[in-house]
Amino acid sequence: MTSVSANSASRRPRFSQINDLWPWLCAASVALSLLMLGALLTLLLVRGLGHFWPASLEEVTLSSGETFAGQAVREVALPQQTGDERLYFTGNQDIDGARWRWVTIEQIVERAQPADLIRIDRSPWGDFIGRLEAIEQGDQRWEGEAAWQQLTALLALPANQRQAGQLLLTSVDGHTLRQPLASVVSAQAPNAMSGWQKARAWGEGVWRFLSEGPRAANTGGGVWPAIFGTVLMVILMSVMVTPFGVLAAIYLNEIAHQGRLTRLVRIGVRNLAGVPSIVYGVFGLGVFVYGIGGSLDEWFFSDTLPSPTFGTGGLLWASLTLALLTLPVVIVATEEGLARIPEAQREGAVALGATRLEMLTRIVLPMAAPAMLTGVILAVARAAGEVAPLMLVGVAKLAPQMPIDGEFPYLHLERKFMHLGYHLFDTAFHGEDVQAAIPLVYATALLLVLIVLMLNLTAIFLRHYLSRQRGNEC
Amino acid sequence: MNTPVHTLSTHRSSSLPRQHFLLRWVITLLVLVAPLAWSQPAAMSGTLGAVGSDTMAGLMLRWGETLTTRYPEVKLQFQASGSASAPTALVAGTTRLGPMSRPMTADERDNFIERYGYPPLELKVARDALIVVVHRHNPLRTLTRQQVDAIFSTSRACGGEAPIRRWEQLPATRDWSFGHIALHGRNLASGTHGLFQERALCGGQFRNDISEHPGSSAVVAAVGESANAMGYAGFNHLTPAVHALSLYNDEGTAIPPDEASVQSGDYPLSRYLYLYVNQPPGETLPPPEQAFLRLILSEEGQQIARASGFVPLTQTVIREQQKRP
Amino acid sequence: MTLPRLNSSRQPLRLLRDRVATGLITAGGVGVLLAILAIGVFLVWETLPLLAIGDTLALAKLSPLAWGTLKAALAALLFAIPVALGAAIYSALFMSARLRSRIKPALEMMEAIPGVVVGFIAGLILAPWVERHLASALVLIIWLPLSAALAGLLWQLAKTRLRRRLPLSWAGLWLIPWLAFMVAIALWLAPWLELHWLGGDLRQLLDQRYGMDYATRNALIVGIAMGFAVIPSIYSLAEDALADVPPTLIEGAQALGASRWQALWKVALVAAGPGIFSAIMIGAGRAVGETMIVLMASGNTALFSASPFEGMRSMTAAIAIELPEASPGGQTYHLLILAALVLFIFTFLVNTLAEVVRQRLRRRYRQIGGTL
Repeated sequence: MTSVSANSASRRPRFSQINDLWPWLCAASVALSLLMLGALLTLLLVRGLGHFWPASLEEVTLSSGETFAGQAVREVALPQQTGDERLYFTGNQDIDGARWRWVTIEQIVERAQPADLIRIDRSPWGDFIGRLEAIEQGDQRWEGEAAWQQLTALLALPANQRQAGQLLLTSVDGHTLRQPLASVVSAQAPNAMSGWQKARAWGEGVWRFLSEGPRAANTGGGVWPAIFGTVLMVILMSVMVTPFGVLAAIYLNEIAHQGRLTRLVRIGVRNLAGVPSIVYGVFGLGVFVYGIGGSLDEWFFSDTLPSPTFGTGGLLWASLTLALLTLPVVIVATEEGLARIPEAQREGAVALGATRLEMLTRIVLPMAAPAMLTGVILAVARAAGEVAPLMLVGVAKLAPQMPIDGEFPYLHLERKFMHLGYHLFDTAFHGEDVQAAIPLVYATALLLVLIVLMLNLTAIFLRHYLSRQRGNEC
Repeated sequence: MNTPVHTLSTHRSSSLPRQHFLLRWVITLLVLVAPLAWSQPAAMSGTLGAVGSDTMAGLMLRWGETLTTRYPEVKLQFQASGSASAPTALVAGTTRLGPMSRPMTADERDNFIERYGYPPLELKVARDALIVVVHRHNPLRTLTRQQVDAIFSTSRACGGEAPIRRWEQLPATRDWSFGHIALHGRNLASGTHGLFQERALCGGQFRNDISEHPGSSAVVAAVGESANAMGYAGFNHLTPAVHALSLYNDEGTAIPPDEASVQSGDYPLSRYLYLYVNQPPGETLPPPEQAFLRLILSEEGQQIARASGFVPLTQTVIREQQKRP
Repeated sequence: MTLPRLNSSRQPLRLLRDRVATGLITAGGVGVLLAILAIGVFLVWETLPLLAIGDTLALAKLSPLAWGTLKAALAALLFAIPVALGAAIYSALFMSARLRSRIKPALEMMEAIPGVVVGFIAGLILAPWVERHLASALVLIIWLPLSAALAGLLWQLAKTRLRRRLPLSWAGLWLIPWLAFMVAIALWLAPWLELHWLGGDLRQLLDQRYGMDYATRNALIVGIAMGFAVIPSIYSLAEDALADVPPTLIEGAQALGASRWQALWKVALVAAGPGIFSAIMIGAGRAVGETMIVLMASGNTALFSASPFEGMRSMTAAIAIELPEASPGGQTYHLLILAALVLFIFTFLVNTLAEVVRQRLRRRYRQIGGTL
């Protein structure tokens, strides 16, 4: 440790004392943390956004002579032997009973990307990959290229203006299929698309993801109800937490006798920020849902029992639980703001004849407002990413009906709601097919991370900006 | 003395216009919380809520979606956390529809009767099976009941001789050099867990080193990822990433889990899926629930079940069910 | 606080308003504090029926969960403490001020990444990858610190011009591509190493020689994922503690002939010790209470096993999965609430300890450093 290399000492006096490699390990810790953060964000960005890019379809011929069409998804090594195998998404669940196919790479004789392969999204059977032979509408019939143009023209119309019709489809291995037009959701011929068309399709895909509700048991469609539910819940939560958090902070800092008890309470409040969120969830379930909700139902909604109104998890209970969870954050931030206000300001106000209320509302609160705002934003950022307590007090797997609608009383606090974080967990673990859901899960995760990071950045900039402004004042 | 203070205060209030913002908060709060007081479900609000099996979650969702495309004013709310949550929710009154992947136990039924004075309406809605799956490259193709029990349980209530812990202990996988069998299954609350315990382990005890996943698809995905894994899951989650094993029935023939054997019940671990409805005798259900039940037992509803990976009911069973509500 | 008397006609009204408002604030404040207190009261109240029975069943059911929680937290801390403390030491004492003002918020941003996202990546992406490339993953754990040391060695041998271009004070940034490069090399080399040193398959070797089981979702995965989530909270607090060490202390030590590293090791770390301790405590509290990551990455096997390659089941995950199904008033319900109470008490104690230590530290700095 003490041996200093004379050579380096003479060259760089400032670092001459560093004769050890420890600082490098420390520096590498910073680099490693940043690397992990960067890798995580890049992974989410690439996979989350890449999912909407129209992937090209391959027509694969195997050494057995069999052919099939699909989209290559990933490759893994074979167990117990050398070589890799590749996973294809083949769709056509109604024809061969499976949507995926694993093929060892050795078996593949030929891979081609013919331009006439199309991909049609249907309900309830999911994707079809193959060729479009013809469209029949009434006594009219289009074939080949004309059929494809007719199909795109039809799909551009709103669903209720399309005339009934049938699609004649053939899969690559020769099965034919008559598909009613009404069951077709969208169609794409990715191999024939130019880069610009793909970019447009990508934009549309992203937009649909953000603006539509989930489809096909949460394996397709978008996340709009989840975005809406998350935002609404967070807004309700901040409406509840702000006044109470500020009241408690004012009481602790301005009114309560600053004795041992207050100090204990302060430490207690501070520590509540470290209590696991699931514990708040347990409290919310036991007290809000079963306790208060159950009683409310018995008193006011007994005519609808056994169908519960407030006696089950819902928007109100979820936002209340999260408000309780974030209360310490707001109290601590506000208190810090209050404590930073020089005592002279308060004394000055009182000396000039202001009552305590006037002193608080006209001097102290305006000065502490930035701190409160920071606290609320931090609370919002924490609440937006919390999932565990919500699992106990009110998220639903699917609740496409918004908690706000045109029906009196417009805001339905008793409804269950969808939440981005829970939607992510649910599609990744409860869904019908994990493999099919993963791209959507990536996209959802990216969205959630972006929202939370944005809120946090706002809080950081706000704090930075305000502290500089305050610096100027002093 | 009064005047200067007064001027000062007006001056202050003009420079700090937020003097009443505390009041404003209170008003905002009141405005936002006030609807709570009036919010009560209208008689025909048409909410369709269900709590229960997550095996059936996808199925319930698809049925629900079909219903809402037809009746856009019907609202859907599904919570799927396991069959055991259905009786709880039915008894607690948090739902009217309880999808379950196993029949109610006598205790659960008694609890319901004790609370309401009448039994819940039981409907069979589709057929399903439990499958035992291994990695797609695993050479194992069949298992006997005793082997399944010896692999998954500590008690060996079905009469296995010794616990099977390693792949070498099974004749078919003597060369499958992956050591221990890594077991995957469902969590305690799921009907899949309960049914597998009852039917495949003869009511015995599960080993405690089985990874418990929150969903069947997670089990299949996990088994598809690791060569040393074996797990049990619902039939509808079968993907080509895994291989579903044939099981020997009591007559000693190996039956593969396919649509025919599941529908006929020849496959040993096949079962019905149920929907329990809280319907007081003599009363009719609310319209959305009625429409939902009609859809499920229609040809279209059964095709939807097929598209979600389940097996449709036979015509005789459907007719039997249609008489009930 | 006595208010000056004013003989105005508005006087009684103002005083009344003041009194009413003060009363309201007090009521609101006390109400909020009572609501917070209610959490503890509720948890205790709901577990009372269980304690009245006083059965050993509760203990038997809870102890694997408690073990799982501890194991997960321990694994996370094993990964997080060295990285977070290293990062804190570097950014408090070596990093250039300009870089620090950017890096610190960036690292604190890690804390904002929701647990459910980390859990998803760990459970569905990282776990299968590590299972297929166990040797690579283990090689990486050894290789990364070695490659950092290698960077240091190369730097000391390098020419002055290069060293001025790549100073240590910016190493946190320019080491990133270096580490990425080294990771790529390790991944490329590891299969070869596995083949030649370990005779083909590491997992087979573990199984045959040591009889070790391997579960896809295990303590290693949970440690990495939860470590990732805990690093920022430990880092942030430890960095504050180190940066607040009065510079006079370090300067004094260096004036007496200590090297910069000695000054750091013997003086700064010792002075900031309590702060670092409280940072670790807060990190431990967070690791114990984390739900989604453990739920998604641990396999949920209620095992008593210390093996890093086997899973566990934590109290938080058990509550999240089982409580919605437990009928209120039933035994499982009370049992899970007991688990919540244990978590509550544990984190509360740990946090209080950390807070008390930190306040004492602040007082000490004030004594030594004078102005701080």
